[in-house]
Amino acid sequence: MNKHTKLAILVAPILAVVGYIAADYYSEYQAKQDKIFQLVSDRHCDVLAHKCVLKSGKFQVSIYDEAGITTVNATFPLDNATLFLVDNHNQGKSYPLGMKDSPYYWQSKTPLRLLLEHNDKTQKMRLIASIKGGKYLAEFYTNQLK
Amino acid sequence: MENEKTYWSENLRLIFICLTIWFVVSYGFGLLLVEPLNAIRLGGYKLGFWFAQQGSIYTFVGLVFWYSAKMNQLDKKYNVEE
Repeated sequence: MNKHTKLAILVAPILAVVGYIAADYYSEYQAKQDKIFQLVSDRHCDVLAHKCVLKSGKFQVSIYDEAGITTVNATFPLDNATLFLVDNHNQGKSYPLGMKDSPYYWQSKTPLRLLLEHNDKTQKMRLIASIKGGKYLAEFYTNQLK
Repeated sequence: MENEKTYWSENLRLIFICLTIWFVVSYGFGLLLVEPLNAIRLGGYKLGFWFAQQGSIYTFVGLVFWYSAKMNQLDKKYNVEE
């Protein structure tokens, strides 16, 4: 092994470590950028029957209502979440959700049950869930299964 | 004296090539172009992911031997080999 091989073998790991550190900084910077993702319902959504799951990749949100308390349960911890009940004029009334026990559960009292009874058992809803580095948005309908 | 200068400039050229490949492979393929490269599969793995995890390391090892071989050639050319 001559001097050039020795030198190259010594320098290569240093460059590898420098590359690793630079990549880490870059990834951290990318992760801090706010991104917007759309959540979609993969099948029929019924909030009252605990059958409403919205998905975006590995991130999933389950929305259900118990005795007028609408709860959002996410697979990742949320920074905050807001639910909107949309009227016939496409205007949404916001219901900022409060954390329940852990950042995976967010809830608020909403008139969803009452509205479902008056709106032919269907209600348009929107959800904004904020997570570190991004926002998840959804617009969906909940139908009461007959 | 002139020989020393050209020897050194050729050495710098090799180092520059090595650093460029090092940057392109580790930072370019592993991070900046990771999404388009991930559309290509290599042995079941996404190519961008493979470069970030293994490919860049293989390239670094390859660069070590390539640089060493080129420098040996350079040493012989300028009659300064060990």
